[in-house]
Formats: sequence, structure tokens, C-alpha cells
Amino acid sequence: MDDHFIEMRSLIKVYPPDTLALDQVDLTIKEGEIHSLIGENGAGKSTLMKVLYGMISASSGEISFRGRRVRYASPREAVAAGIGMVHQEFMLVPSYTIYENVILGAEPVGRLGALRNADARRRVQSLVDRYGLSLNIDDRVCDTSVGAQQKVEILKLLYRDVDVLIMDEPTAVLTPQETGELFRRLRDLNAAGKTIIFISHKLDEVLELSDTITVMRRGRRVATWENRGLGKADLARAMVGRDVVFSVDKPPAYCGDVVFEARDLSYVDAGGRRRLDGVSFEVRRGEIVGIAGVEGNGQLELVQLITGLGPIQSGQVKICGRDVTRVPVIERRKLMCYVPQDRKASGSAQNMSLADNAVMTHHRLNPRLESRWKALLSPARCRRFAQNLVETFGVLTPNVDTPISSLSGGNQQKVVVGREFLFSADFVLLDQPTRGVDVGSVEFIQREIIRKRDSAGDVTADVGAGEGAVAAGAGCLLISADLDELFSLADRILVMHRGQVVADLVPRDTTREEVGEYMLGVRESQSERRPRAQAASASALGPAGEGACVK
Amino acid sequence: MHLVVEMLRSSVLAATPVLLAGLGGTYTYYANVFNIAMEGMMLIGAFTAVAGSYLAGSWVVGMLAGMAGGLVAALVFAVFAVYLKTDEFVTGTAINMLGLGGTTYALRQMFRVKGAFMSPRIQAIPRIRIPLIGTLPGIGPVLSGHPFLVYVTLALAILIEWHIFRTRYGLRLRASGEDPRAVDSVGVSSDRIRAQAILISGALCGLAGVYLSLGYVTLFAENMSNGRGWIALAVIILTRGRPLGLLTMSLVFGFFDGLGLSLQSTKIPPQFTQMVPYIATIAALYLYSREKRQAPSAPTGPTGSSEQAGQ
Repeated sequence: MDDHFIEMRSLIKVYPPDTLALDQVDLTIKEGEIHSLIGENGAGKSTLMKVLYGMISASSGEISFRGRRVRYASPREAVAAGIGMVHQEFMLVPSYTIYENVILGAEPVGRLGALRNADARRRVQSLVDRYGLSLNIDDRVCDTSVGAQQKVEILKLLYRDVDVLIMDEPTAVLTPQETGELFRRLRDLNAAGKTIIFISHKLDEVLELSDTITVMRRGRRVATWENRGLGKADLARAMVGRDVVFSVDKPPAYCGDVVFEARDLSYVDAGGRRRLDGVSFEVRRGEIVGIAGVEGNGQLELVQLITGLGPIQSGQVKICGRDVTRVPVIERRKLMCYVPQDRKASGSAQNMSLADNAVMTHHRLNPRLESRWKALLSPARCRRFAQNLVETFGVLTPNVDTPISSLSGGNQQKVVVGREFLFSADFVLLDQPTRGVDVGSVEFIQREIIRKRDSAGDVTADVGAGEGAVAAGAGCLLISADLDELFSLADRILVMHRGQVVADLVPRDTTREEVGEYMLGVRESQSERRPRAQAASASALGPAGEGACVK
Repeated sequence: MHLVVEMLRSSVLAATPVLLAGLGGTYTYYANVFNIAMEGMMLIGAFTAVAGSYLAGSWVVGMLAGMAGGLVAALVFAVFAVYLKTDEFVTGTAINMLGLGGTTYALRQMFRVKGAFMSPRIQAIPRIRIPLIGTLPGIGPVLSGHPFLVYVTLALAILIEWHIFRTRYGLRLRASGEDPRAVDSVGVSSDRIRAQAILISGALCGLAGVYLSLGYVTLFAENMSNGRGWIALAVIILTRGRPLGLLTMSLVFGFFDGLGLSLQSTKIPPQFTQMVPYIATIAALYLYSREKRQAPSAPTGPTGSSEQAGQ
């Protein structure tokens, strides 16, 4: 085994004008090891690997592979040399079969460019068998699960005979079961002699899988350790540069009256597919209800029906006792805070200033932002409002007039969350509130969510929209792909599968594996276990209710 | 009996240019290029074919010139739409206007005529009798004795079906249309494939123009493509780009085109008889979209953004 299989020496990557993505990085990878790169978003781990893979060219520094100096101009060259990378986003043609996706770009051809499939099919099939990938190579990619698609990406590289497999955050899109399966496959590949480079920011996974761990922070390599006797705290300290509290400190929930109620929501899309199928649940004041599920099982549609972006075909939505089934978006916004999933597309207007983004929706609901002439906004008041938001939510920005796109992802998200939490509404809809945000901001946002749960009107004194300050907290509906987040924040977890709520679980009485089984549909739907809280909620405020709530 | 044979013969003749252009458009359809420039490419091809045939006195030169004309128009389209990333619709419209205005202008400048240019020096594409076909009972009289481009077109329909679904190029072409990043990620340039698809469509549209001006008739008239490029586009979308489906639909269009001509001998005003093929096209589009609404399609949820809606 070659101890200097891949060597990177003083790699520097500068994005003009002054972003230093890689800062003098040295890294050695041994042949046949599983080497993890860990770090926060923007730490440079993906950038480093993309440089190796020929996707990005380094500003300076050198790389050697098998003792020879190399510099790949394109991923194609890297693959030809034996280095392959599986990206977070899959590069697959949905309507093609697995086999067609695998051979695309390296097709076996006979005369006149006609495809000669027989031999190639045998080869692809034998790779599937040999590494236990359990794929049917004639299935269309669009009909397969995310986990299977990831295996197709690996298969593509195996078909091209790579020796080094770079996996860029492969578990971000997987359920716990699929993650376990992926790890077994990676170990098999490793046992067959492949070198694996595993990029992640999840500490448990890295500790479980790797032989060697390299920690990166702000474009620098902080440390490289053998994975022996390491703990999460060691890694986290190196990643963040300070001690990190892992569990969010959460007082028990005191549930009040019902602030949100969905009854029998069904939705059939334009293509005739049933996206939501009789979804009913309620959220009470002072609790966080989490929704888990593999993406595409109705979460998107549920959010759209609640916010009013999609028409409710059948069923009913009530917010704070008011039936909003046929109510336009702006009326609903008076009753709810909403943090959308996609910060860039719908959470903010990227080219506008922080102040403009901060007052969005407030500008229609909050009369204090108006100037002397009723129809016009007062720029000074808007800026003051934004300034208040920046201070309350600890947004790092030179001033409120900078375009929001120049802020880091975490700070942008703080602006969005801050704007929404400055409404005094009693119902909070959070769609992936911490996705793609750095660890520090995640911690902050999660603490704010719990604060919101416990006191809805706290930070809203300045706003004066709607009913004013309320003593008790808000009811939160949290949709998240991150099970860790659900387990640390939610008081109840609902699992969605194929448009139905198949389980209603209490985090401390369940496990990630159980939730994962419901997500995959391995477990049958729970019978109606959820408390019909009509009667209980009649007693209104105060610690009442069942399930996760303290009695 | 004689009338039926005549009508079917004219269907085949009228179907050919639509089919040729449609076959070209199939490539751009699979490359996911919205090719509305087919009309213009066809018209330019028709003009350069007549010019070539007239100046050189040879139909071979005319045919090559026609294909070259379509190819040049396609090259402009490809450079703008693929490499300069301009809007396909705007670029295509520009090519169509250039085709109409440019050929009309060139007609007046080069040949000093308005409306139509006819000359005995324009050599037409030869008609051929394929042995055996003529003797077949029933379809023999229908298929025999057409300009040879008709037979080339029929053969192309089968060849292109094979090219798109059975070859390496076809696999990459369809992948480029569906997910260009997937193609780029395996080291094949999707831009290049899309540009090639546009050029192929240009050559075939040029050939359709050749057929119009040197096969169907032997002259060049202003705007002689007369919407056939648009019909071809409609037929491609209608048949979802299957070359053999294209063949059938083009024959249907050709039939109604021929029917319109036959009806001119009746008392129905010619304005109405000329509408027949286009009304048939609209009816076909309606039937198609009704069928499509019933069939399950790609998953789409209600989309939109809260901030826009909330403001």
C-alpha cells in the first residue's frame, strides 16, 4: 500500500476579489483507506476535492497521484486517471434506465455508432452483483429511490474503473437505513481495494466510518487524526474552534389551545398523482410539531396548501380557530409566521438590500412603517426596523443597505427567520429552517425557535400587527429533513409517507431507526393514535393536553 | 377510383416537405431546443436551391445549395441560441423574418422579379420510377413516379428513428435535452450536441425547401414555405418526436392539403378550402392535448413563492 497515494501540497484557491477558499492546504491520503474530510459549510472540504477532481483549478500548489505530479483539466481526465467523485446533486437522466445512465459518455459502439449492449450489460450487471448494490439495471432512474440513485452514481464510476471514490456529503439526502446500507457498500468497496474520501459535517458518521479524519476550518486544514479513541467533542472543537453544545437546552412544552388544525387535506396534482391523502393533525400553542419524511412525500404540497400557494381541493385548514381554506395569502400571513424552505428563491429577494428584505410582508401589515402619506413607506422607519432585526437576531452585516446576497448563508437565514419571528402570530410554519446554514447559526436559530415556542409575543412589541403581545408561546410546525434537528427540537414527530401521516411519535419514546422505518414505508401506518384534542383544548391555556406535553 | 388515387398521390407530395422539416426538427426536439426557425430555414433553402439550380443549370448543385442555405441559417441560430445563450424564441423569430425578408429582397435584386421567379433554366429534381413499386396493386399507382426526394424522405424517417433510439449519438442527444448537466458531467459537451442537432435540422429543413422549389413545383415564390415549418413544429410536438409517428401525421396533413386543393374545383370559396389543412392541424392539437390531460405526466405541484404572493 502506498502511503503517499495522493499528496496535495500548499494548495491555494482564491475567488476574486478576496475570498480565500483554500489557504495553503497540505493533505496526504494513503492507498486503501477511508479518509474523511470534516468541516462546516464553507470550510473548503468540497472545494479541495473539486480541485483534485479537475472541476476547479487551484490558484497555486501541486497535487501528485501515485507519485506523479498531476493537474486534471476536467473531471473526465480525473476519471480516466482513476479518481471519481459522487456529488450531492446527482447527475442522472431521469427517464433513462440505470444501465443507460451508467454507459452514457462511455458507450460501447459498433459500426456507424450503433450501440452494442450485450457485453456492456453483462459488465454492468456483474459490477452490481460483485459489490452487492442490489439494483435492477433496467429500472428507470426516476422510479428509484434517492438511495438507489446514489448507488447508480457509484456504479457509473465503477464502470469507468476508478480506484479513488470521493463522496461529497453522501448522507445528506439519505434516511438512517439508507445511510447504514451506504456504509456497508462503502466498506465492501474499501475491502476490494478502493480508496474512499468521505466528505461530511456529521460527526457520528465520520467517527463510525473512517480510518483517518481530517478537519478543515475556513479553508485551512486544522488537523489530521487516526480514528482511534477520538470523540465528537474533539472533532467539534477543531471544526468550530470552540466548544459546542450538542443538545439544545429545551424546557418541557406547556401546551395550550389549538392554533393550527388541518382536517382531511387531500391534493391531486396536475398529473393525476395523489400528493396528499387525508392529512389531519393539529398544533397547539407552546409545542413544536415536527414533520419527518423522505423528500417528495407530500411535505411540499402540505406547505403550499397551508400558505395558500396552492388551492385546497378538499379538506380544511384552520389557523387560530379561523377557517382559512378559502382565504387569500395576505390574510393568512396575518395569522402565521412562515420560514420558507428555499432562502434564495422564496425567502428573500437576493438583489435587494437587507432592509428591503427585512420589511417584506411587514410593509403591508405594519402601519408603523408608513410615512405621513398613508400609501408610502417611510425609508427611515424601514431602516430602523431592519436595524432592530439585525441587533435582535445577531446578523453580521456592515449595514442594513448591503444587498442580502453578499451576506453568508447563515446570516441571510437569520434575516429571514428574524423577519418572520417579528410577527406576533401564534402559528409558526418552519420549512427546513436550518438547511445549508453553518453550525453556529443553526444553534442560534434553533434556540430562537424554542424561544418562539415559549413566548410568541416577546420580540414583537415594536411591531403591533394583529393582536399584540401574547403571554403564551406559539405553535410551531417544523418540517425538516434533518432527523437530528427533529429529535432535538420537536415535541411530537409526525412522519409523512406517500402523502399520508403514517405515524405520530414522541421523540423520547422513539428512535431514529423507528422514524426511518416509517419514512421508508417499511412499517405499516400507525392506527389513529393521535389525541383528538377537541375536548382537551376546551380547557384552553395552561399546561393541558396529552402526548409530549407536560400534564 | 382515379380520383382517390390522385388525392392520395397529392397527399404524399404535400406531406413530404412537412415530413422532411419535421425529421430535422426531431433532432432539436430531443435536444430540447425550441426550434421555431424551421420555417425560415426552409424558405432560405428553397431560395438558394432555385438560385443554385438556375445559375449552375444542375439540380445537384441546386440541392446542395438548398441544404447549404438551411445550414447557414441553422449555424446562425446555433451560435446565438447555444453559445451566446440568447432566447431561442427571439432568435428563431429573427431567423424567420430574415428568411422572409431576405429571400424576397434577393429575389428582386438577383432576378428582377416580384412575386415568383420561373425559368426554363431552373432544373427540377428528376422523377423516378422505382421498379416493382409501380406494379404493386393498390398502393403502386400512389407511390410511383414521384420526385426522388420523396423516397429519400421515407427512407430517412426509418433511418432517423434508428439514429435517435439505437445509436450513441441518439443516447447522448436525448440525454442532453433532458438533463444537460448529466451529459456534461461524463465529459461530453451538451452544448456541442445541441449545436449539432440544430445544424442537422437546418440541413433537413433546407432539403425540405429544395423539395418545395425544385420538386413540388419548379419555381421560387415569395413566402413559398407558407407555414409548413410551423405545421412541422406542431406535428413534432403532437407526435412527441417519434419519426414514424411523424410520417403518419405528415400524411394526414398532406391529405387535408390535397383535399383543400381538390375542393377548389367545387363551389366552396377558395379562402375556405385553403384553410382546410390548418383547421385540421388545430383539431389535431386539440385532440392531442385532451388526451395528454388525461394521461399522467411529470409530477408537478402548485408552485410559487410566498414572498411574492405575500407582498
